[in-house]
Amino acid sequence: MANWASYHISDFILFSEAVYYKQFELYNQAIWPMQLVAIVFALSVLYAIYKRPAWAGRLIAGVLVVSWLWVAAVFMYRWFYQIHVVANGYALGFILQAGLIFWYGLIKNRFNQRLKNRFGMALVSGFLLVAILLYPFIAWLSGRSWLQFEMFALAPDPTVLATITILLLTKAPGVLYFIPALWVLISAVTIYAV
Amino acid sequence: MNNHHFRSRRRFLQLMALGAGGFVSPGFARDERLALLTRPVPSSGERLPLIGLGSSRTFNVGSDPQALDNVAEVMRYFFNAGGSVIDSSPMYGSAQPAIGYGLAKLKRTQNVFSADKVWTWNANEGHEQIERSRQHWKVKTFDLMQVHNLVEWPSHLATLQQMKKSGEIKYVGITTSHGRRHDEFVDIMKTQPLDFVQFTYNILDREAEQVLLPLARKKGIAVIINRPFQRGDLIDALETKPLPAWAGDIDCYSWPQFLLKFIVSHPDVTCAIPATSQVPHIKENMAAGYGALANKAMRKRMIDYVEKVI
Repeated sequence: MANWASYHISDFILFSEAVYYKQFELYNQAIWPMQLVAIVFALSVLYAIYKRPAWAGRLIAGVLVVSWLWVAAVFMYRWFYQIHVVANGYALGFILQAGLIFWYGLIKNRFNQRLKNRFGMALVSGFLLVAILLYPFIAWLSGRSWLQFEMFALAPDPTVLATITILLLTKAPGVLYFIPALWVLISAVTIYAV
Repeated sequence: MNNHHFRSRRRFLQLMALGAGGFVSPGFARDERLALLTRPVPSSGERLPLIGLGSSRTFNVGSDPQALDNVAEVMRYFFNAGGSVIDSSPMYGSAQPAIGYGLAKLKRTQNVFSADKVWTWNANEGHEQIERSRQHWKVKTFDLMQVHNLVEWPSHLATLQQMKKSGEIKYVGITTSHGRRHDEFVDIMKTQPLDFVQFTYNILDREAEQVLLPLARKKGIAVIINRPFQRGDLIDALETKPLPAWAGDIDCYSWPQFLLKFIVSHPDVTCAIPATSQVPHIKENMAAGYGALANKAMRKRMIDYVEKVI
């Protein structure tokens, strides 16, 4: 794989900022009315986190598994891959993460644990609210078309951010953080490079 | 300002006026002074326009209908100004389908010099990938197929030579960029039968003058130049600087023309392939393929000036 060493990350970001965000607009229009399902998913996660019903852990895990699989199959492979030749690799990473969440949250039912530190809980909850409630408005707030919104369960960044906060809230093991953390890095580099 | 300057300026304005109309009259094309300059491919004698069209980044627009129409519009101006060489790669996302869309819309699928690349680490996948690319372009065959960035070059070059023998492609080449892997590139140029090489060369990145360009001349290999503007950085750095008055002596009235004219004035360069997604830019780029070329002294003057102001 010595060939890869001669590449820079910018060699793989072969699209402009306008084209990148336009993909979200086209994607949002194409998948309507899945946004309504995403809203139900988002409200379900918030309900499970803050009301803590007995089945909260499995509900959260189920929502996350479906969300990561959707982002992999529809956003990454069907849309992002059109303009980004490595997006199929990203899709595989998202499928792997869905598998890990399935194992930890659904099979082992470990999303029932909670952070005990009140300050930590408040801080992490804030990020969760940003990921789920604020993120869709970032496109509009930054002066882009509101149709370019990114929603939890449908777009990678808010889905990953929400997942990380849920992992923190439920004191999940380190292995579950690897792919989300890697995506944060990839996304940051991508946005920087465009 | 001398008479020559005014004549050059007039030729440039004529070109721009015709380009703005999106139309080139037969008379315009027959007028030698107003014809896009060409150089021969050494292995065949086929003449190619000095200015081609790259597609990295700029044509990667996904399935956005408006953006696809814009790509077609850029291609329309390119062809109307006499262009023919379009270069792409499977690495450039949706650039190949966008080119195919433009060619079909402009009814140019039979009338383009199609240059693409094979880019896969799987030695056995080359032929299959080239076929996919061909379907994207909507062309019968490719004119030039190049091994992109020397990826898996021994097996892909063997595939390409076989395809050339069977008439599936006309020319075989290799590419690199940013001065990457020049030593290996030189070895391949010395040992393999090649029609084309493609590498980076511009007014600031002149490493190619030392070995690659003289070797291409010696071996009779056509040269395509990529990244003539350092991916736009050169234009960004120069756009606020004054263009020297003497640039008119070589028919240059904008920085893109100046930078492209420097490249294509090198006698060993066959074609430069600037990429753009904007119609005004394609007009400026194409204008660099017309009029007077820079001689050795002028090229030195161009380097000195840019190095002074940048």
